[in-house]
Amino acid sequence: MIAVTRRRPELGLLFWVAALGITGSVAVAAAEVAGFRPQQLVVPATFVLIAFVLHLFLAARGIRGDQLLLPIAAALTAIGLVLVQRLASNLLVQQLSWTLIAAGAFAATILIPRDLTALSRFKWTWALLGVLLLLSPLLPVIGREVNGARIWIGLGTVTFEPWEAVKILLVIFFAAYLEEFREVLSQTQRRFGPVPVPPLPYFGPIVAMWAIAMVVMVFERDLGATLLFLGIFLAMLYLATGEAFYTLIGILLLLVGGFVAYHTFGHVAACVDVWLHPVAEEVRFSSGYQLVQGLFALANGGLFGAGLGNGMPDRIPVVWSDFVFDAFAEEVGFAGALALLALYLLFVYRGMLIALRAPTPFLQLLAAGLSFIVALQTLVIVGGNARLIPLTGITLPFVAYGGSSLVTNWMLVALLIRVSDLTARVKGTP
Amino acid sequence: MTRSIAANIRGLTLTIALAFLITSLGVGYWTLVSGEELAADPFNPRLVAAIRDRPRGIITDAAGNKLAESAQTNNAYKRVYTDKTLAHVTGYASFQFGASGIEAAYSESLIGQDPGDPLSQWRARYLRERVPPGSVMLGIDSKIQQAAVAALGGRRGAIVAIDPRNGAILASASWPQYDANLVSDPATEDAAWKQVNEDPNKPLINRVTQGLYPPGSTFKIITGAAAIESGVDPNAKVRVDDPWQADRSWGTYFVRSSSRAHGDYTMADGYRLSENIYFAKIGLQIGGPKIAEYAQRFGIGAPSRCDITAAKGQVSRTGLLDRPTLIADTAYGQGELLATPLQMALVAATIGMGGVMPTPHYANEVRDAEGHAIRVIAPGPAGQVISPDTARALTTMLVGAVEGPGAFAFAAKIAGVHVAGKTGSAENPSGAPHGWFVGFAPAEAPTVAVAILLENSPRGGEDAAPLGGRVMAAALGK
Repeated sequence: MIAVTRRRPELGLLFWVAALGITGSVAVAAAEVAGFRPQQLVVPATFVLIAFVLHLFLAARGIRGDQLLLPIAAALTAIGLVLVQRLASNLLVQQLSWTLIAAGAFAATILIPRDLTALSRFKWTWALLGVLLLLSPLLPVIGREVNGARIWIGLGTVTFEPWEAVKILLVIFFAAYLEEFREVLSQTQRRFGPVPVPPLPYFGPIVAMWAIAMVVMVFERDLGATLLFLGIFLAMLYLATGEAFYTLIGILLLLVGGFVAYHTFGHVAACVDVWLHPVAEEVRFSSGYQLVQGLFALANGGLFGAGLGNGMPDRIPVVWSDFVFDAFAEEVGFAGALALLALYLLFVYRGMLIALRAPTPFLQLLAAGLSFIVALQTLVIVGGNARLIPLTGITLPFVAYGGSSLVTNWMLVALLIRVSDLTARVKGTP
Repeated sequence: MTRSIAANIRGLTLTIALAFLITSLGVGYWTLVSGEELAADPFNPRLVAAIRDRPRGIITDAAGNKLAESAQTNNAYKRVYTDKTLAHVTGYASFQFGASGIEAAYSESLIGQDPGDPLSQWRARYLRERVPPGSVMLGIDSKIQQAAVAALGGRRGAIVAIDPRNGAILASASWPQYDANLVSDPATEDAAWKQVNEDPNKPLINRVTQGLYPPGSTFKIITGAAAIESGVDPNAKVRVDDPWQADRSWGTYFVRSSSRAHGDYTMADGYRLSENIYFAKIGLQIGGPKIAEYAQRFGIGAPSRCDITAAKGQVSRTGLLDRPTLIADTAYGQGELLATPLQMALVAATIGMGGVMPTPHYANEVRDAEGHAIRVIAPGPAGQVISPDTARALTTMLVGAVEGPGAFAFAAKIAGVHVAGKTGSAENPSGAPHGWFVGFAPAEAPTVAVAILLENSPRGGEDAAPLGGRVMAAALGK
């Protein structure tokens, strides 16, 4: 028998999210030449409905624990919808459909794995599934190449980026594997000077997974995914062992790999050159065009921005997926951009809090790893948009246009809420 | 003992928080700090948007004749240019391809946000209020401009006339031309842009400010200045025997005299007869670093101070003059030297002004919508680059180079006025030598300095000198 829970803070926050989504949409519509039309309210209203239904669903299922994650994720998704309406209104209905699918995936994730800890028992299944998914874009019929990166699979007009799902599988696998072997991995009997000599056999599977991923990434030519993969790998290893030394080695490997890739692969070199000299005459009208236009948009932001609908972010190519952050910052300014970053940080903070309180190492590693995905993705794409690091094609979680990303991120939220719920049950707190 | 996972989570969270802080600072930098500079970038479509969405300011010549204005089409604006010969100066303003020339350099002024009026910039930036655009008045004098265009007569090259007293550019002709109207009109911009960019004659380049050419014998002015200031006596005779090499280590390499000369030359003779061997010898005498230093002083290889985009040129590929043959070749204007016609006009102007180098500028004044001056563009001189005595000595010799017996530049003479000048024929990899003439008049108190460049002109400097005379005569009202 499931007891209905009252999730009052969550409900209260969702009213704020509703206000955000609706005013944002109206503001964008009002700034257009055609002006505001009442039927444009259908999209934000549908979204608000979805958010409240998810809340009721959680309450009805008697889910306890964290009540901030759902409102934060909903707020970010609302911002995403407003920005898709602003930047690519022809994709708005599609994005709303994906939001609906994402809500379904969220609900399914809340329902289906009856026993969350049982996920760890199938770790080799997840590993195999992950590798298969990772390889799938290379397959002849369903594999798709977009902008030089072969990271999509598609059937008809529906395309999916399998990497998005792989990152969650990866975290589950690492959490399970490291829970089992973390003692052995971190208690290094032998030291070579200050260098701990790891017990190599236990590293075998991890390194093998990593190697497979790297090889695939080279053939799929996706820098962003490679970076995320490595980041997750290193973060999980650090979370499990606490050996900063592994992280250092990893970062060193990354730098060496980056250097080799720079001199070996044209797309890597182009990416780095554009990053270093975006306004150079040779690149500003070709490979650097996107970044330069993004910087112009940022610079136009000022403190409070041009106002929704009043900037010119539409001059940035593919702004709705790659440069949504710059577009947002142009129209709501530094203040708004900071608020957006604060939402992400709050999300990550809540996720890490869930991880801290989780009852078993597997759940701790799982929750921390999932939160880390959101943090790393945000940092890598915002850093790329703001020219702090080379630009890679990573989506801004929840906000950027794209179905696969939205669906998997909402599944990620569901998993975090599940961990939190389990913790509350075990420890007997609400 | 293994560290607890909880401790690791805290460590990771702290790292993430730090990374968010750094990222926020980065975003703050771009949105708040870098704003001004990026907002003024001529390729920023936000500036160019003004081309289409609202009228931009007017560009006029010195007499107030309109050179560019915004015209209303159906529901947008486009730029209309009235003087095709000034397409390189006004530049274009295309919504798609950005802006060039004055349209780019004064893009803020042309949308009512002149830097001389910070209030208008702040109102636009923080309150989003727009001040109606005013106008930018150039120093171009239509009479001299027409004379320059007529003198060029459809030959590939460039002519620039400058007022040496204040650096105002009086005429600026570059051939071949392009039609800025076509590049700026949304209906034709795509085809026009493709056409001008694929044209092997590169019509989009303003050859006055961006054309890089070996300066040939006009560079001897700089070599002479460096020599006099290094203690070389201009009256001392130097033996010239064609062909010449410093020693056997040059192998088969010789410096050649254009008149196959044998004799004793003073510096005045060297200028009058444009004697390469004379300047090669004194160049080697004073050394590469001295020549490089004086070329730099005269602005060659240094960032341009001109108000529109201009090339900086080079003393040599490395910036150093470290081999004897390179020093000798550079001393008479070849080697790896590259300079723009504007730079060489400034060299002439500097000699005329007693060694004070003016700062070149195309625009004279920015005015608001009511016609009041917001900002007068009067950059001070770039500095005293050589002593007044050196300049005076050079002036005398350069008058001799135009008016003396057998002078190469005799064709630049103007009746009733003393003219100082120097021709040049620059060897180059693309065919016949480029013809140069630089000069100023009246020699005693110049009001105009010119540089003429004719690409691949069969008789080199001989072709260029008379054009210099005609343009200076027009400027002097003769």
